[in-house]
Amino acid sequence: MKVFKKFTVTALTAVIAVTASFAGVAAAADSLKGKITVNGSTALLPLTLQAAKEFQKLHPKVKIAASGKGSVTGPQAVKKGIADIGACDWDASMDVPGFKAFEGQVANKVAVIPFATIVNKNVGVDNLTTEQLKGIYSGKITNWKEVGGSDADIVVITRSFGSGTRVNYQAKALAGGDIVKKEKNYKETGSSGDMKTAVGTTPNAIGYIDLVYVTGGDIKAVKYNGVAASTDNVINGSYKIWAYGYYMTKGQPTGATKEFINYVQSKKFQQGSLKKLKFIPISAMQ
Amino acid sequence: MSNFTRTRHTARAQRRDKLATIALYGLGALVMLLIFWLLFTILGKGLPGLRPDFLFKQPEEIDAGGGIGPVLFNSFYILFISLIVSVPLGIGAGIYMAEYAPDNGFTSALRMAVEALSSVPSIVFGMLGLAIFAEYFDIGLTILGGGVSLALLNLPMLARVTEEAVRTVPGELREAGYALGTTQFHVIRKVVLPVAIPAIITGVCLVAGRAFGESAVIILTAGLSTSGEMWDFSLFSPGETLAVHLWYVQSEAIVEDARQIADKSAAVLVIVVLLINLAFRFPLWFGKRRQGLSRK
Amino acid sequence: MGAPVHNLATTIMDSTSKKEISAQRRHKRHRVSNVFFKYYFLFSILALCFVLGLVFIFIGKTALLLFGQISPADFFLSFNWTPEEDAFGAAAFIVNTLSLTALTLLIAVPISVGMAVLNAEIAPKWMTSFIRPILDLLVGIPSIVYGYLGLTVLLPFLRRVSGESLGDGLLAAALVLALMVLPTITRISDDAIVAVPRKYRDAAYALGSTRLQVITRVVLPAASRGVISAVILGMTRAVGETMAVVMVIGNTPQLAKSLFTPTSVLTSNIVMQISNVEYESTWNYALHMMAFLLLLISFVLILIIRILGRKRRDQA
Repeated sequence: MKVFKKFTVTALTAVIAVTASFAGVAAAADSLKGKITVNGSTALLPLTLQAAKEFQKLHPKVKIAASGKGSVTGPQAVKKGIADIGACDWDASMDVPGFKAFEGQVANKVAVIPFATIVNKNVGVDNLTTEQLKGIYSGKITNWKEVGGSDADIVVITRSFGSGTRVNYQAKALAGGDIVKKEKNYKETGSSGDMKTAVGTTPNAIGYIDLVYVTGGDIKAVKYNGVAASTDNVINGSYKIWAYGYYMTKGQPTGATKEFINYVQSKKFQQGSLKKLKFIPISAMQ
Repeated sequence: MSNFTRTRHTARAQRRDKLATIALYGLGALVMLLIFWLLFTILGKGLPGLRPDFLFKQPEEIDAGGGIGPVLFNSFYILFISLIVSVPLGIGAGIYMAEYAPDNGFTSALRMAVEALSSVPSIVFGMLGLAIFAEYFDIGLTILGGGVSLALLNLPMLARVTEEAVRTVPGELREAGYALGTTQFHVIRKVVLPVAIPAIITGVCLVAGRAFGESAVIILTAGLSTSGEMWDFSLFSPGETLAVHLWYVQSEAIVEDARQIADKSAAVLVIVVLLINLAFRFPLWFGKRRQGLSRK
Repeated sequence: MGAPVHNLATTIMDSTSKKEISAQRRHKRHRVSNVFFKYYFLFSILALCFVLGLVFIFIGKTALLLFGQISPADFFLSFNWTPEEDAFGAAAFIVNTLSLTALTLLIAVPISVGMAVLNAEIAPKWMTSFIRPILDLLVGIPSIVYGYLGLTVLLPFLRRVSGESLGDGLLAAALVLALMVLPTITRISDDAIVAVPRKYRDAAYALGSTRLQVITRVVLPAASRGVISAVILGMTRAVGETMAVVMVIGNTPQLAKSLFTPTSVLTSNIVMQISNVEYESTWNYALHMMAFLLLLISFVLILIIRILGRKRRDQA
């Protein structure tokens, strides 16, 4: 097996050398080179892709590959050594409900992500309190009239366990309250897009999502304890449902990885593209 | 008397025959209507806004108006790699199962195991690919890894379709070949394959279409990003494909025209699959026509 | 006078010996290619076995770790899947997977085989050469597009028809899956039916059979092997399909008591959770065991279909 691996690696290196010589046209004076693999949270992916695009323009010799399949894949991939940066919606260097801390990993803050409670456009309710939300997600409140709406069953839509959005929403909006599965009128979705579509097409549905995705006429964000979900309210401290997005690294980042994270944290990116992507700069919260 | 019953029988049989024919045409019409509605929905949403430059532009994260250039290219590239790997092996394995393998319990168990393999969710093949390429060979998320993992996914299906195609070739044809005293492979090449090839091509089309639309495997093995260059032939670049991009814009993208990009991408996917089908079948039609002429 | 005759003779002799030599060469070439390709085919099948083994070991290795942590009875017989509280009962998924597969085949097989018969035996040529590429096209539509249409078109429709407020469940999933496997089953059965030798049909027609009789008593039995393979390939695709299913099934780990109970099958549960669990956790082992189980289940289903098919063929 060892011999086989050695042989294959040699062969692969040869192929790399050949393709590299084909591809090695862009030779800038820039000395920074390397390959950065980013894996993990899909919610941070738009940010990562945009940053990678800009960063590669500055440093053409750095190759960045990004993928995502869920928050916890980030720190796990870093732990296994198959990714240099693990994007995660929570600080994976500490324990969170459901997940143990990843030893030896450093959490680098890259953005502030606000979340919103959303309902289908047919729902008449426009404000929910922490207690009401807890009641709805624990299955104690099942009809909209119990929270001031019309007489209709509440359809609960949630993200699957382990989703970064769910971890944060449970911790912040439900104040640690449980999300309990129900026999009827309960559905789990696998991505922000699915959540948006499901709530948008299901009458009487309630769900939660990154504030960025609250667009279009099919869904609307409801107020949380009387405060509207908006970037301004997050920055002035009145709206509490938000969390940092993190880049997890094995130890302190070095080389190209360090430069990349520095770029993402730089004022230029934070105040420019990051804002345009409707994330909130980390400096706004400090 | 018996004559009378027979005619009654025949009359009933004929009535049934007519009814069945009508029912089948009705079924066909319904299914075709359904398919047309489906295609109309997909193409009707995507085609109107489709401009040629959409096919060549870079995807955008912030501004509306992004394209699908590199991902479309990667789709073809990864499909090509996966077919290069899976078609020769799949067809070879299928021929072996049909022509060489002894007809015993082990062979049929193997056949069923191969069939069962197609029910493994593609995400598991993705994880296998991740374990092989990202962990074992440590090359990260690459086009090569994506293509080969996709080939692993498609190999069982190709082998089974080929085996079936080869098996349906009537035995007499082979015997006629052997009677001329030639070798087994010569019979396969000259007698069996020409008869089996249309069905094998159906199989390749099915597999190619599926590979083109596959996303879970690619997300795990080739990633969700591109190198940002058009025409990047490097096997070691990250290789987001069109189907993956479609998943991404539908699931997580923030850019405001994400829905339109998803609709357009879906339409492009369908059209490309149609073109792939045509490309595979065209030589076949051409060959048939030539055969038909030479016979006359 | 003698020279031309002599010439002619040598020419004839030359050409025969040349023919012989080229025949010998050809023969040799055939023998070489025969051996070469024999080994090539053997190599291909070994490669396939290698992939099979790889998948088997890859899943099995992690899956078996499960039974170091919980007992097989807790896994196979319990209906309670609440991993947050260390309850890993997979029975509900197993039952749901079987129900979903049965429901899908119930919808898809009659329609697909009907379409295949229509294509191969009844419809005129211009029509089939139009239907076949359209069906092939269906295969290439990515599953998330099916899922999206299921979410935005099928579910609202089912909600209206059934009066449910959600609509997710086995029926929605089965309908989407049936549409997805339809082209696979149709096209492969179609090829199998077309491959039935002309003379079988001619003989049956000569006995005065109607077309329906020829189809049901001669053509379909003769093509049964291929049709069964088609059904199996369709079924395995249905069992293994995920991206579309997760959008319309509801993903709630519980036994489907009705067609509209939001529920979860083995595949959908694997896909929804596998990227959200830690590698070294009972949960992850349980998900791998479910993938392993999926292999076993489809193996058993294939066995059943084959036995049923053989019985049918023997009767015919």
